[in-house]
Amino acid sequence: MTENIPSANDTMVELIKVSKSYPPDITALADISLSIRTGEMFFMIGKSGAGKTTLLKLISNMEPPNSGLIEVAGHDLRRLRGSKLAKLRQRIGVAYQDFKLLLDRTAAENIAISMEVSYKQPSQIQKRVKNLLEQLQLSDKHDTITGELSRGEQQRITLARAVANSPTLLLVDEPTGNLDAETTGRVMQLLVKANNSGATVIIATHDESIFKNTRHRIMELQRGRMVSMKEAAAS
Amino acid sequence: MRFWFAVIRQAGRNLRQTWPSQLMTLLTVSLSVLIFAFFYLVYTNMISSSEQLGDDLRLIIYLEDDPGPEMQEQLRRKITNFDKVEDIIFISKEQAYEKFAAQLGNNRDVLDDIPRDFLPASVEVIPLKNLRSLNQIKLFSQYLSKLPGTLKVQYGQEWVERFYYFTRLLSIVVFLSGSLLILTTIFMVSYTIRLTIFGRQAELELLKLVGATNNYIRTPFLIEGVLQGLIGSSLGLFSLFLLYQWIKRHFSGPGLLELFSFTFFSPEAIIAIIVVSIFLTTAGSFSSMQKFLRI
Repeated sequence: MTENIPSANDTMVELIKVSKSYPPDITALADISLSIRTGEMFFMIGKSGAGKTTLLKLISNMEPPNSGLIEVAGHDLRRLRGSKLAKLRQRIGVAYQDFKLLLDRTAAENIAISMEVSYKQPSQIQKRVKNLLEQLQLSDKHDTITGELSRGEQQRITLARAVANSPTLLLVDEPTGNLDAETTGRVMQLLVKANNSGATVIIATHDESIFKNTRHRIMELQRGRMVSMKEAAAS
Repeated sequence: MRFWFAVIRQAGRNLRQTWPSQLMTLLTVSLSVLIFAFFYLVYTNMISSSEQLGDDLRLIIYLEDDPGPEMQEQLRRKITNFDKVEDIIFISKEQAYEKFAAQLGNNRDVLDDIPRDFLPASVEVIPLKNLRSLNQIKLFSQYLSKLPGTLKVQYGQEWVERFYYFTRLLSIVVFLSGSLLILTTIFMVSYTIRLTIFGRQAELELLKLVGATNNYIRTPFLIEGVLQGLIGSSLGLFSLFLLYQWIKRHFSGPGLLELFSFTFFSPEAIIAIIVVSIFLTTAGSFSSMQKFLRI
């Protein structure tokens, strides 16, 4: 498994003094400043409640920050509306921690949804869906209703949906939480493959097994604050 | 092209998943169109009947003396000041005598000893053949009776008044059923779409998150609205046509229908009803979607 270390200096994600709090007075993130280069694989680690998921939500524009600037692919998220926001979202794949699957639809339909909104050809969608299910060893679940799948299988479907549309930015929240070691390896292979194809991949995790030997940057969050940043190893 | 393919597929999926509520809305739209179109059909037929019946309708103003050319002009001006009319005919005492004599035919000799000016001069006012003029006749007659030199104004008073009240009642019914149509279609369609939105909140939220444009989310619902309007109004009009055929079959022959020569809507009116229904159902659908997309 070779990993892609970007040399380009283009910035995919830029955060300057970003803070987010929830009522009554819970600080989820405080003064986070961070730049993630295009094509980089980036790990965010920290215990539950450290602010990893919140940071992914802000980057994917699911929620607005209370203060600070967030730019994705050069776009200030505060100013993006309507079709421009939709177009940017089509370029961002997100694997949510709570999956956000349509439990009454089949696995194939769930994966296809991200390609359908960008009007891909049905034949292309079918081919891609089959290919992804094969990579994640879920070929036999093609027509299974997602609600009938196990947590681990649902997690992989979420991941397949996130990568299906070949996004330029991939946000992955706890991708291996419900998986055994072998499936974790397959999931990581898929993420590395996406990264090697040029996608910027941001992984939020507390699973040490997936980042302990990595050569990529690792940012550690504690109670909404950045406490350390391990720089990438030289190639 | 790909956009339309995607949204039509999405609309088909929506309809498959929510067909019971869609069917209820379709029936409501059909019923509303049927009720409205029924009263509207009766109304339009009454109007065309009024034109036929109004052919013989005229107001006769009996005058004290033969009006001179100047007086004729003054009367003509006074009459047309009140309302537009189809024709104004002045009949002098002499003309009235000749007319009466002509009507008597072979018996005209009974008039031999009677002076030729025994009949009063008169003005015949033929109103325009439309419902508004018909409804105005009473007021018109009151106005004419007050003109100087008028002895009496005559017209088919009883018949005109009954007809006037009936058409007025009918126009109120048409107005009410039209309003009912508008309210029920907009309400029912927006309510159904809202229910669908609630039922599919998770999916619509996800669509937004994966980058669906507002048009991608909205268009399938608008397609549903168009279909509801098109199929609902067509069903309603078709039911009315069947009812019309049944009435014609069972009530043909001498009687009311022969007097009124009952006809169905013109193709233009049918298209107008369908287009308005489509507009209303699409508006209902659009308003629900706008509320959702603003969230």
